[in-house]
Amino acid sequence: MQRQSFWSGLIVIAFALLALNWLIPEYAGVNPQAQMPPELVPNLAAWLMLISGIIIVLRGIVGMVRAGQLPLTREINPRAVAWAAWPFAYVGVAIIVLDSFKLTHAGGPLILGMLLLLGERRWYVLLGCSVVPVILLYGLSVHLMRVGVI
Amino acid sequence: MTKTALALGTSVLALGALAGGMAQADEWPTGPLTMVIGFNPGGSTDIQGRVLADVMEDHLGVPVNVTNQPGAGSAVAFTSLANLDDDGHTFLYGGLTALTFTPIIQDVEYEIDDFEYLAGLALGQNAIVTSAEQPFETFDEIIEYGQDNPMTYAQQTALDQAIIEAVAEEEGLDLSIVPTGGGAGMAPLVLGQEVDFAYSGGTHAQYTPTGEMVIAAFLSAERSPFYPDTPTLMELGYEYSIEDYRTIVVPAGIPDAAREGLIAAAEAASESERFIETTEENTFFPVVYMDQEEMEDTVRRVRAATEDVMGD
Amino acid sequence: MIGASIQEALTLNALIGIGGGVFMGYVIGVIPGLSRSVAIAIAIPLTFYMSPLIAISFLIGLSKGTAAGSAVSAILLNAPGEASSAATALDGYPLAKSGKPKTALQVGLVASVAGDIMATIILIFVAIPFARVALMFGPYEMAAILAFALVFIAGLSGGNIFKGLAAGGLGIILGTIGLDPQTGLPRLTFGYTQLMDGMPLIAVAIGTLALSEMFIQSEKLRYERETMAVKLEHRADDHITVPIMRRIMPTILRGTGIGTFVGALPGLGPSVGSWMSYGVAQKVSRTPEKFGKGEPQGIAASESADNAVIPAALIPLFGLGIPGNVSAALLVGAFAIHGITVGPLLLRDEPELLYSIFAGMIVASIFMLILGWFGLMIFAQITRVPPHVVIPIVIFFCLGGILLQGYGTFGLVILMGFALLGYLMKKYDYSFVTFLVAFIITPMLELNLRQSIILSRGEWSILLDRPIAVFFILCTLAALVILAQRTLQGSRQIETAPGE
Repeated sequence: MQRQSFWSGLIVIAFALLALNWLIPEYAGVNPQAQMPPELVPNLAAWLMLISGIIIVLRGIVGMVRAGQLPLTREINPRAVAWAAWPFAYVGVAIIVLDSFKLTHAGGPLILGMLLLLGERRWYVLLGCSVVPVILLYGLSVHLMRVGVI
Repeated sequence: MTKTALALGTSVLALGALAGGMAQADEWPTGPLTMVIGFNPGGSTDIQGRVLADVMEDHLGVPVNVTNQPGAGSAVAFTSLANLDDDGHTFLYGGLTALTFTPIIQDVEYEIDDFEYLAGLALGQNAIVTSAEQPFETFDEIIEYGQDNPMTYAQQTALDQAIIEAVAEEEGLDLSIVPTGGGAGMAPLVLGQEVDFAYSGGTHAQYTPTGEMVIAAFLSAERSPFYPDTPTLMELGYEYSIEDYRTIVVPAGIPDAAREGLIAAAEAASESERFIETTEENTFFPVVYMDQEEMEDTVRRVRAATEDVMGD
Repeated sequence: MIGASIQEALTLNALIGIGGGVFMGYVIGVIPGLSRSVAIAIAIPLTFYMSPLIAISFLIGLSKGTAAGSAVSAILLNAPGEASSAATALDGYPLAKSGKPKTALQVGLVASVAGDIMATIILIFVAIPFARVALMFGPYEMAAILAFALVFIAGLSGGNIFKGLAAGGLGIILGTIGLDPQTGLPRLTFGYTQLMDGMPLIAVAIGTLALSEMFIQSEKLRYERETMAVKLEHRADDHITVPIMRRIMPTILRGTGIGTFVGALPGLGPSVGSWMSYGVAQKVSRTPEKFGKGEPQGIAASESADNAVIPAALIPLFGLGIPGNVSAALLVGAFAIHGITVGPLLLRDEPELLYSIFAGMIVASIFMLILGWFGLMIFAQITRVPPHVVIPIVIFFCLGGILLQGYGTFGLVILMGFALLGYLMKKYDYSFVTFLVAFIITPMLELNLRQSIILSRGEWSILLDRPIAVFFILCTLAALVILAQRTLQGSRQIETAPGE
């Protein structure tokens, strides 16, 4: 718990510093009328993040010292990490596929592939789950919303 | 494994059958249209736009969805419209001061030639309004009061802000100006007397019949037929007026089929009972119909005239 | 006028919308792992093409349906479809296992519907006077109230106010992306024209709420496999009886009161309501030892509060325009899509619509009773749908929702980014509720702040004429101090506890 606070707090601080020193000054733009500068609200929010992040990290450190923990001792189980990561990779690949195919064309095989990876082997479940949602989405997009094939 | 292959094959087959229903590329419309409104929901542009969308929907047979992109007197909406990579399914409905005026005084990322002006549908009704509860009512009374007291004003477009700043300078007013997202944001500020007076692009029509809001002066060149007793700013001796039309605007260079389809739908709408009724009776805007040629000329003429005035 | 509004809510289309929403909500609520916010996030694209009244009724019906549906899986599976029904499982599951699953379900249903209807009535009678007062608020008051709501939500929705504030800060930064409302110049768009309208709400909502949840669920599959549901059998003595009804009635009334109170405060949400109600019911009971072993009062306490929270959460929404939880925040987005600015102005400008929505909410409660009563057998079957089948299909519809809105590949990439963000926020206990609410109210907060700064000409003394604004500024500071103290003290208790 403390270790998680420590590391996530560091990420918050890093983002806040990035925002304050680069993102906001570079991209917030200017307001020639200058009644309220456009960077005021993002800057306040970034400061809020920075202060909160510092408190989170400090509490994490205090907690770790009291409990006698080191920031990196917990063994990481590569199998657990891989299991958590593959759905992200799968959807990432799906997005690349969807750049050149319509979802109603590629969707069936995409659902099917994920079902297989999740361990489903019954053919009727595989068939039903990969065809019915695609037909639903097709009907929705073409006939109900009339947005065309997506 | 054979089961899997079978399932895969079947779903591919089913998809192939579905793909047969795809639309042709040269048709228009191939999907729903999007109407962009450059102000908050609830203002006069929004009210007219939603009825217009409804009427066009009946004419074209596809949904016309309205999206609001308020900010900077429609400059926000024009910026994103100019950057649109579209095949004629998105258009804007609204006034044009963000084109005829705003680019003169500030950096914007679009120009008049980035758009086409397909049809003008209603004559602009810009006014200076105030609350009935205030100690002043006419424009002269506002000025008189302002010479002794600091005043606040709610703007909606760069143009009305420039005009009121010029008036304030002439008359020696101490004025601070707040932005609003449109008529719907302006009304609570005026009625709650958070600001002393404000610009209204047409939203006043919802509040003058109840007597909550009064019109101090019109910014148009001529008096409104709906408020024959209210003077214009020109009549009061200030050399400013706004000529504007609520227009259907698209990004330049859309396909011909889209242009023709939109113009036909707009023309039909200008004759539609429902559009005329809402526009004239609910928002007090005279309905007109100006075709593309006339509109393109008007935009450039108004822009040139405004540049002349600003050049002085 | 009110009569006409009620008629409006009873047209065939409206009834189909409401009924469809309740039914869909029920089904999604029953499926373990699919929560209310997942349901609303995915359903918003669907509502795009409905009329405003039907769309809003559909969404409200949907959120009510999920609350009732989640009780079914809590009772039959001991796996609540929604965290807020966890307390229901404590007594519901033992009662179902002891051979009275139908009784348990019926007690849950009666409590849900009763809590829901009563809270809806309270909403109607509280929101309207609230809105009348709020109509007099100017930019100072609104800016102060919004700041207060944000701090309150940050402190209460997660438990750790600093993490909540960090999440809220990120939401604000992302909420300022787009074209500057005063000048029309791009701000924080990094040159992407697609960002000029701001971060697309649909992508943010579906990403942080629905898609990230699917990643978490699929991760859990490694550790938990299918659980067995209690089967419904036809048994003569297995139904709700008059003595049971009489026993649970006081509990339901109390639960509704607690749920309504908790729901009306921003940031607390249904889980707090149902646990609080369960705890109180146990404390005042003459036989507290029966709780946890199949006591119908336990089910009634939890379910009535859980359902009362949903209409009550609309009190700040309709009264002040402030969303107190994720569902209400998503409703703001849905309202905006239909050109309605939700808040006190609704009462003045479109009272017919407001009354129609209220009428629609009552209709939704009645649908809930009918569907729940006659559909028990069907919904009981749905609990047997295994989660690993649900995950790929929901992911498919998440992608579909983005593409339906025409955001294309850019939208999908944004969706993926927010899914990752949502996953990390849930893993590391950063309040994604605060994040989302902050994201949605930022434009409103900024405009009111800007107007306040200009109107006051930078003079703080103007606040002396603004007692309500001052009151809320003080409340904000007090909430900040108290909640920060609570977080710091809370940590000490954890540290002194053995282990971690």
